[in-house]
Amino acid sequence: MTESTPPAVPEATRKRGAVDGLRARQPAAVHSALGVLESVAQHGAGVSAREICEALDLPRATTYRLLNLLVQDEYLVRTPDLRGFALGSKLEQFGRAVMPTAPPRAAREIINELRGSIRAGVHLVRYDATHIVLSDIDPDFPLSHPERISRELDCSAMGRLLLTELGHDGHPSWAVVRPASSIHAITEHVTRSGYAMQNGELQPGHGCIAVAIRDDHDVLVAGLAVSMPGVRVENPAKIVDSLREAAQGLAPLLS
Amino acid sequence: MSALERAIAQRHPVHGFSRESPLHGLDRRSIGFVEVLAQSVSAIAPAAAATTMPLLVASIAGSATVFSIATAGLLALLIAFTVNQFTRRMAATGSLYTFVAKGFGTDRAGTTATLATSVGMLIGYSFIAMFALAGGTYYVSIVLARVIPDLIGSPLATGGIMVVLASIVLLVLARGIRLSSRVTLMVETLSVAVLLILIVALLIQIGPHTDWSAVTRQSFAGSTGSFSGIAVGAVLALTAYVGFESSAALGVEVRRPFRNIPRALVWTVLGSLLFYLLAATAQVMGFEVLGADFSQSTSPVNELAEGFGLGSFALVLDIGIAASFLACTIASTTALARVLFSLSRDGILPRRLGSTHPKLHTPLFAIGVSLLAVTVVPLAFVLAGAGIWNTMQLLLVVAAAGYITAYIMVCFAAPAFLNRIGELSIRPLLTALVAGLSLTIAFVTYLAVEVAGERALAVALYVAVMSLGTAVLLLRVRKNPRLALTIGNYDEPTVIDVLGGTTQAKQASD
Repeated sequence: MTESTPPAVPEATRKRGAVDGLRARQPAAVHSALGVLESVAQHGAGVSAREICEALDLPRATTYRLLNLLVQDEYLVRTPDLRGFALGSKLEQFGRAVMPTAPPRAAREIINELRGSIRAGVHLVRYDATHIVLSDIDPDFPLSHPERISRELDCSAMGRLLLTELGHDGHPSWAVVRPASSIHAITEHVTRSGYAMQNGELQPGHGCIAVAIRDDHDVLVAGLAVSMPGVRVENPAKIVDSLREAAQGLAPLLS
Repeated sequence: MSALERAIAQRHPVHGFSRESPLHGLDRRSIGFVEVLAQSVSAIAPAAAATTMPLLVASIAGSATVFSIATAGLLALLIAFTVNQFTRRMAATGSLYTFVAKGFGTDRAGTTATLATSVGMLIGYSFIAMFALAGGTYYVSIVLARVIPDLIGSPLATGGIMVVLASIVLLVLARGIRLSSRVTLMVETLSVAVLLILIVALLIQIGPHTDWSAVTRQSFAGSTGSFSGIAVGAVLALTAYVGFESSAALGVEVRRPFRNIPRALVWTVLGSLLFYLLAATAQVMGFEVLGADFSQSTSPVNELAEGFGLGSFALVLDIGIAASFLACTIASTTALARVLFSLSRDGILPRRLGSTHPKLHTPLFAIGVSLLAVTVVPLAFVLAGAGIWNTMQLLLVVAAAGYITAYIMVCFAAPAFLNRIGELSIRPLLTALVAGLSLTIAFVTYLAVEVAGERALAVALYVAVMSLGTAVLLLRVRKNPRLALTIGNYDEPTVIDVLGGTTQAKQASD
């Protein structure tokens, strides 16, 4: 595909040979793949393989291969008639790197008050369609795996709130690692108890509890979460009460 | 700011996607590559096929046995490449039926071809499941006969074993795709391992005694012989590969289907090709060294094991083969139920068959109906005193004919499909045409030979079920012409999969 210029990749990558079928020796393929994504964005949803091929002046077989690989990885989706392409919602991951918007001062005060009253990490997250946006993370108890929390909705209490809101079949398949049956059990627990929890999912011996913050139309807009040792998660009654009280105060400030 | 950045930041609403996949209700994206591979591998039941198929081929292709098996393997590989033109682009549960629907379209001829394919798939999966259930019963009774010698030949005992096995299969299948795929994976790995150990042991024993060029010399001597011998041999050998496409029926349930299913198909064919070549070589050469006639054998691997002083292996081997057959029953019924499920969601079959269990997320009703049919037919044959080995041969021929019909259809549908979506290029076109034409020629030759032979009943059964089934389905479409337009539902991407689709979903719910 390209001339034999030695690629500037670390030894470890070269040894593995291929990253998901795309060889490290084919840097131009990455270039073309991004070109394909850009082209779909330019043309808009429904653009056909032939149109992309003409726009980029790539060989036809190469274009088809690239398109199929991008569909495989869910960066692109085929339109229902199978002829056209649209950008996949997985691309939103790239857009989410934007700076989190800090909550208003009145909200920060409520959160700080809660932080002073319980010895645990108190975090505020906001929800945007199918994504978690970290909004105010406790500086004294930083999150152990912030990237997993935003990537896998089923691993954190904050994510589980959103999963429940989205409902069965309502979440993108790449946003969870569990099968549908276990997701069902999780969301059922959230619906029944009115709060979400996880214990030992992200860090052994530690867990998390989260309650929902809703706007006037009862739409989930944010989540208030506490992370703490697993033993305390087992007896959540008191914590859940203080969380609910704070959440009630936060609702008008965040919606 | 590039168009891509703008698209991600602004997320303009994208229309034309629905909120729910037409195939909702199954355990979506719940299994991985290994389980899908297990589905394809179990459906072809390599351990069971490696011990029975070479004998079947040898009785017709004679000295060209190994050559026929290699030819069939290459043919299967071409079919796999062609089927993958679909599996890389759409996830479905109807397997080849849905693919052909997308290729041939909704006009009268297209609908007929599509429905014929669906009947071909139903025949293939159901008769191979019957074959495997009968085979499992046969080998379990051989194992049990070591303890209770009177068991062999008693139709009632055989029927009893069959019912017990069918109940085990039902139990595993009902519990969901994750459990059933793991069970088949474990069972199939064990049985292949047992057979592989035996084959290697045999080859080590045979090694010093023989001139290895005999295999190839024999093959090419045979290949210059009759064309029909090779064609029929290749079709019979193909029966050992059929079912490799069955993981395409798990398109909804597998994670990253466009990557995992194509891989599973190609790996299954390549792996089994190597395995069969090894097994067939060991059997052909083993009998030559022993000075016995391979094609006159009744249970070649056992006889070889005895002949080379590995008799103690026989019991383990029998258990392994029984397990392999059982895994094949599970896998084939899994695929059968999903084709029924698809036909129902497309409106062709009654609604009930397209329902799923709310907790287990399995097409439970379709599984029940499938398993009932799969049990009743061989049970009737056995209770009527037909003899289990004869019954198995009959079932296998019908199944193979069903599969090959569907394979031929899909080979010709693939170029039409690629052309329809504007992605036709020269390599897939040539692959599909070569596979389709050689399959058609081999298949017609095969049917002509079988009609004149002792398995004419199987051909008659195939023709009857095929034409009757297609006619019934066609009649349903003729009565309600709108059905033709809805045939071929697949797991369409929904609003949540599309950038901007999410925004639209949110607004819609407000």
